[in-house]
Amino acid sequence: MTKLKANKPSKIEELKAMTPKDRKRAIGDLLMNNAMFIIIAIAVVGIYIAEPTFLSLPSVVNIINLTAAKLPIALGVGGCIILAGTDISAGRVVGLSACIAAGLQLTTNKLFPGLQVMPVPVAILAVLVVGACVGFVNGFFMAKFKLHPFIVTLSTQLIVYGIILIFMQLGTNSGQTLSGMSESYRNFVTGELFKVGNTTVPRYVLYSAIIAVVVWVIWNKTTFGKNMYAVGSNEDAANVSGVNVTKTIIMVFIMAGMLYGLTGFMDAARIASVNANTGLNYESDAIAACVIGGISFVGGIGKVSGAIIGVLLLQVIFVGLNYLSVDPNLLYIVKGMIILVACSIDMRKYLVRK
Amino acid sequence: MEEQKPSREVQSSFRGLYRNVKISVKTLDKIILGGIAAIVVLVLFGVANNGYTVTFDSNGGTDVPSQELMYGDLVAEPEPPSREGYEFAGWYSDENCIYPWDMETNQVSRSMTLYAAWVPEE
Repeated sequence: MTKLKANKPSKIEELKAMTPKDRKRAIGDLLMNNAMFIIIAIAVVGIYIAEPTFLSLPSVVNIINLTAAKLPIALGVGGCIILAGTDISAGRVVGLSACIAAGLQLTTNKLFPGLQVMPVPVAILAVLVVGACVGFVNGFFMAKFKLHPFIVTLSTQLIVYGIILIFMQLGTNSGQTLSGMSESYRNFVTGELFKVGNTTVPRYVLYSAIIAVVVWVIWNKTTFGKNMYAVGSNEDAANVSGVNVTKTIIMVFIMAGMLYGLTGFMDAARIASVNANTGLNYESDAIAACVIGGISFVGGIGKVSGAIIGVLLLQVIFVGLNYLSVDPNLLYIVKGMIILVACSIDMRKYLVRK
Repeated sequence: MEEQKPSREVQSSFRGLYRNVKISVKTLDKIILGGIAAIVVLVLFGVANNGYTVTFDSNGGTDVPSQELMYGDLVAEPEPPSREGYEFAGWYSDENCIYPWDMETNQVSRSMTLYAAWVPEE
């Protein structure tokens, strides 16, 4: 961080020393590279003018809560993107974990008739194990067979979806929405952490913050984290310098899977009703958030803070458009285009650097 | 993190998903600006055509017309539907009729369907 700060004044001096033409280009670069942030800032101002309650306290707290709910999955996908890969099975893994967490916590259990409500730690352990298993499969096929991450995770996405559908058919449930989860579980996740004004900040905000800190430590302070960046920026070079590339890739995907599991665990209690489509398209939000937050598809570049900023900005925009009653179907198109533009901007940074 | 990055020559041999990119910055700028313009147009289009549709699934009863509402609006209590041999038991926000929709306090925040609950007549 200190290095970054020290760099800043020199950049301004650099700008002063440039010829007018170079200066124009440098300012152009700056504007283009931050185009997404500029657009989002303009959008926020626009939405605020149209609907001043958008930046009222309850609304801001709501945005922060939503950010916390979507953060773990973004951190998971972020790790995969740092490996110059991606993970499109993320949303379905979240769905499966949500189904499992809900299935262990139903008061009248139609999935497993007669099963008592399990203690909360059992549900957490279950989602972690399930997430890790899917992550292992993803990582194994990517590392061992050098398959393209899109193909591997597309396959696991399908497999996991099939498992979800079969899981929902268990017992006498016949694919119905799961609802009516135990009070202890719901309270563990959505119980009150503290109040801001009249708006409750639920406990999962705290869990999400803890997860972010843990991921930050793993990414920045452990050998595994450093290996992850090394493999992401250059697999061959990492291999030559003695990094166990296979193990690193598998571990990154296992960690990502566990983070999806935790997202599902929190989501089941947060939404309070789980069906086979829970988690659908979550990965697109997560990928968009990561790319906006500067986690680059070049590989080896990205920070936890970037993921947090990305998720937050995306939530701000979509909550804002929700306030303006914009058709949610249209938002899918907007999201897709945001990913394309964010990738183009990301690519531009890379091209200019070269 | 900066110091962990290998030198630029090494890095250029591995560019992740962008390794086959051959495009000039100028073209890319046009694409980015075009994309942003398209997003702005789409959002403005969405704002101009805003509104959420609340549809009513009467679960076998008489049809109830849908309503066009804005974010934060309350659903106007529709004429209750009728069904042979059943008594109407209110509107619910889920198919299984577990979560009732309170017309006086619950605000609309998305397009949705409300489901009618029925109890058999004695």
